[in-house]
Amino acid sequence: MNQSAPDTLERASDDETYYLNMGPQHPSMHGVLRLLLHLRGEKILDCEPVIGYAHRAHEKMAENRSYIMFIPNTSRVDYLSGMIYNIGFCQAIEKMVGIEVPARAEVIRVIVCELNRIQSHLLWLGTFMLDLGGVTPFLYCFDDREEILTILDRVTGSRLTYAYGRFGGVTMDVDDVFIEQSRAFLVRLRERFLMYHALIRENVIFQERCRGVGVISEEIALKYGVTGPSLRASGVEYDVRRAEPYGGYERFDFEIPTEKAGDCLARFDVRVREMEQSCRIIEQGLTALPDGPIGPKKLIKKLKPPKGEFYFAVESARGHFGMYILSDGSDTPAKIKLRTPSFSSLSSMPDVLRGTMVADTIAIVGSIDLVIPEIDR
Amino acid sequence: MSYFTTIAGGLKSLVTGLGITARQMRRKPVTLTYPHVKPELSEAYRSLISLVQFEELETHDCIACMQCVKICPSFCIEIDGGRVEGIKRMRASKFEVDFALCSMCGLCIDVCPTDTLEYTKLYDEAGYEREWVYDLLDPFRDFEDEFVERQRVSDAREAAEKAAKRAAAAEAKAATEKEPEVDP
Repeated sequence: MNQSAPDTLERASDDETYYLNMGPQHPSMHGVLRLLLHLRGEKILDCEPVIGYAHRAHEKMAENRSYIMFIPNTSRVDYLSGMIYNIGFCQAIEKMVGIEVPARAEVIRVIVCELNRIQSHLLWLGTFMLDLGGVTPFLYCFDDREEILTILDRVTGSRLTYAYGRFGGVTMDVDDVFIEQSRAFLVRLRERFLMYHALIRENVIFQERCRGVGVISEEIALKYGVTGPSLRASGVEYDVRRAEPYGGYERFDFEIPTEKAGDCLARFDVRVREMEQSCRIIEQGLTALPDGPIGPKKLIKKLKPPKGEFYFAVESARGHFGMYILSDGSDTPAKIKLRTPSFSSLSSMPDVLRGTMVADTIAIVGSIDLVIPEIDR
Repeated sequence: MSYFTTIAGGLKSLVTGLGITARQMRRKPVTLTYPHVKPELSEAYRSLISLVQFEELETHDCIACMQCVKICPSFCIEIDGGRVEGIKRMRASKFEVDFALCSMCGLCIDVCPTDTLEYTKLYDEAGYEREWVYDLLDPFRDFEDEFVERQRVSDAREAAEKAAKRAAAAEAKAATEKEPEVDP
């Protein structure tokens, strides 16, 4: 299919071919991603992602402020699963400095992170459907997502850019209303899953547009470091929550859904099943929520980290989110490098898109769940 | 044959989709028509900060310790203040916050030693300028002189009480020391 595809954009010069800029301002492109496509007819010969339109220098900002002042930045790296990034950064620092987290705070963190993961996947589901041309499921997904935002808003005080984590705990305690609301939401969501299954998964148009489209083979996925649901859809059972358990995840009973096919349909299935697993984790957390403090009595604001390098990773909604922290022993990090999953997923796109049709581009790029500000940071 | 099965499959999908839509149509609408219907803000809602008016003080309790200035990730707080003639309590004389920069992370509220900062429920402010600086002390200015006067009086009373107590204690001690001598 793609014998005639050139290796690089420069080598292709043929009268029949042309270039197409998809993005940065494209109605169905997520955020401000620009894909420079080299086409013959409707067939993609090559693709070059152009990034950097949403660069906000988060890593540089970390170098001129103390560790605690970086907390609000973390949830803005990836605004869709901000809670996981926010809590993840706190967990990294706690492990680096050796701060104990009370049992209650740990369970609260797991619950809010999983709620956030469901929220992120729901948004992905909605926008993915929008990419494929179905507007109605988008509204239903946002209806469900709104519930999660309301629940989280009640305990954290914000809907998207959380600053909920603090070193050694969380800012606000959860109450019985939160537990009740979360339980009610899980019941509601499980009913809605049935509806999504009938409305989306069994729809012929959806299946035709997804089956066998945009196959990321295991080899390509491992080569580019694709992680998260996109990797698990290619048949690799890798989840940071299981591979290197952190934050008490080792005490929870959940499965890691995997699929073999590696196409858009497999990625869809993995994400939907992951939401179900997140529901299970939340349920266990709500049942086993211990009493006790939710953090240190006094805010830990000055740190004395050991000198040296430090790496910590969490499983965000998009995959392996790593923080590499270089410490010079002072309260200000010498360098924080963020390893974001969307960047690696996007890097695999030229290999995946070569040989496919333009109309499938949106489906493929949509199915790997990119968040552009997270790529640029 | 496959031609007809495809058509049948497509029709089935169509009917399922329409059925779900029809069921959803009978639900109550979830969309709020915003300017007409306003959402209820949660109690924890994080918005711009303001100073708490304490009941016992009838004013704020900012002691200009600069903790919030130091911890603010957006560098948007500016405070002046210090010791006021005649009273023990430190007082702030300027508390300017540029809300155009504030990211509402709540670190200043967490770090405040006197808990005199709180969130407001303001969310629909708009302006024509880039700078959006408020002096949080403005609502407390009129009362400040009276507060200092009151504080002076209460400080003086406290000092007097303390002195009296000390004197009483000394007297009592002297009395207990003396007594055994007198008794036998």
